Amino acid sequence: MIICRDLHKTYEGGKTGWPALRGLTFSIDRGEFVAVTGPSGCGKSTLLNILGLLDEPSCGSYELDGLDAARMSDNERSAARLYRIGFVFQAFHLLNRLSALENVCLPLMYAGEGKEDMRRRAHDLLARVGLKGKERKTPLELSGGERQRVAIARALANSPGLLLADEPTGNLDSASSREIMDILFALGREGMTVVMVTHDRELAARAGRNIRMRDGEIESPSGHGRSGPRGGEK
Amino acid sequence: MTRALYNAARTGLSEILAHKTRSTLSFLAIAAGSVVFIDAFSAIVATYARLESQRQVSGMARMKISQNNSQTWSDPDDYIAPPVITYDDVLRLRERVPGLFMVSPEADSWRNVMEYDGRRVVARVAGVTPEWRKRDFVYDLKGRFLDWHDVDQKLRVCVLIRPAPPEPANAFFKSMRKKYDFMSGYDMLVTHNDLLGRMVKIDDINFTVIGVLDELPPSRKPPRIWWSGSDYKVLAPVTTLMHYNILRSHDSLDVAIDAGDEKGFDETMRLVRNFLKVRYGDEDLFVVENQMDAIKESMARNISSSLVTISLGMLAFIAGGIGIMNVTLATVFARTKEIGVRRAIGASRGDIMLQFIVEAVMLGLIGGLLGSALGWFWGVPAKVMLGMTASPIKAWMPLVSVFIAALTAFVFAIYPAWVAAGLRPAEALRAE
Repeated sequence: MIICRDLHKTYEGGKTGWPALRGLTFSIDRGEFVAVTGPSGCGKSTLLNILGLLDEPSCGSYELDGLDAARMSDNERSAARLYRIGFVFQAFHLLNRLSALENVCLPLMYAGEGKEDMRRRAHDLLARVGLKGKERKTPLELSGGERQRVAIARALANSPGLLLADEPTGNLDSASSREIMDILFALGREGMTVVMVTHDRELAARAGRNIRMRDGEIESPSGHGRSGPRGGEK
Repeated sequence: MTRALYNAARTGLSEILAHKTRSTLSFLAIAAGSVVFIDAFSAIVATYARLESQRQVSGMARMKISQNNSQTWSDPDDYIAPPVITYDDVLRLRERVPGLFMVSPEADSWRNVMEYDGRRVVARVAGVTPEWRKRDFVYDLKGRFLDWHDVDQKLRVCVLIRPAPPEPANAFFKSMRKKYDFMSGYDMLVTHNDLLGRMVKIDDINFTVIGVLDELPPSRKPPRIWWSGSDYKVLAPVTTLMHYNILRSHDSLDVAIDAGDEKGFDETMRLVRNFLKVRYGDEDLFVVENQMDAIKESMARNISSSLVTISLGMLAFIAGGIGIMNVTLATVFARTKEIGVRRAIGASRGDIMLQFIVEAVMLGLIGGLLGSALGWFWGVPAKVMLGMTASPIKAWMPLVSVFIAALTAFVFAIYPAWVAAGLRPAEALRAE
């Protein structure tokens, strides 16, 4: 599903720029649950941004579902983010003036869904993440764990094949973290490809595969080829 | 698309409500443009209405012959009294220049004394013919007007003009009116006495009042672009006044002419000048005023002043547009992270542009509506309260004004929306 070859990303700054990624080569198969770990500043979030088509590599190639990202127009990248990729961020990134339901409706609206279908789908997704009855609440009226569930529901709105989670439990207490991870692992078991950036070694150990990064390079692509999350297996 | 528009409008409305001061300032700038536009549009409509009214009431192809009083001479002994236009000359002009709609001779004796029931008042008496009522006849007539029989037989009959009730005025204007209006005695006499059918004396000669012309109050007077004012009080057959020496033999008649047809006006002017030249040897002894040109000049002045007002409206709209651009740019920078989130979940550049343009157009629409309401308030109730004539505001004026306001907002929102759409999603998400 994901093939990266010699992926580099250098941010502008100083005389030679600041290299965030230095020649990453790896692939992720459909249905894999991959944890990306490493110390702060090692390039984990940069990698996730590139995988999510939010940013472009300085050189190297990235293929998503057989599509070369470098050849995609801006509209094609937007469409890929809309239909193929779901994002879950550490800071939730919900729109505070909209209700939970409206936040989940946003990707459906950009996909051109009809009003009734959109609302029905958003209700279903919120129920699935355990937020039935809280559809009308705004993010400011919800706890951190509940906000992250809304974010997961939003990420799943257009049934993407790839879920990218950037430290999804970074801002949560341990109980909420457990609940969120249970949802993510459940998604992995259902066959969704999940790439999760985390600092939590325990969580990384539960993933099917762990890509450890250091200074913009892959230190250890352990468990390559294994599919599905281990931690989710009962 | 409809859903996206609805959502963009909803987001826009919540943004407008969340930043009331900023939004109000934008509304006001656009509203000022709308007010000025509506005022200018209504001024143009009023000008054309006055033109139509002018055509109906006063005629367009007008000219006036009068004695040239600006002759110069080096020695008083060289002065030769200029020839006068007599009633016979007027009849001959009618014959020589056929097809004229109106040839109305007028002569007035500036100060005459009218006496009724022992009361003597100053009145301005004018000698006219029945042609006088063909143009500018904006009166209610009681009794009858002069007819050709009165003129031919030199009958001692007259028609009195009764003034409309004076407009409400402040103490200063009332005192000025009292001090300088030396016809006020006449006005009081005809206002408080029904003189129709009665006998009055003009310069000690008995006249029968056969008609009374009530001046229309200003609110009922048809609007006109241009008119030759006269403040005659008593109208009598021109032949009678000359016969009884109320008009002297050296008093020349003025002749008001309506050629009827605007197309043949220049040719008629030429024929009239030619008539004067042939009859008196020198056309410069008389002045032939081209009143059609004066009417057109007056109209052009009205239109050009309205265009100046429209230009001011455009400037106000541009200022409002710049305000909207500023507000929208500020909104883009304040909501950079939101833009990043929307891009991350799949919004295209077009979606982001649409959102900010819809928000700006809403600012323009609300400003335009506010301006239209203010424009109507200024044009109708406020002007009436201030004693001015209400503007003829048509339904299309606020519509056009709101459309221009929205269009201005749209045009000025393109750049900020383009900036918003051009933000890189990853960088926008990192914004604080």
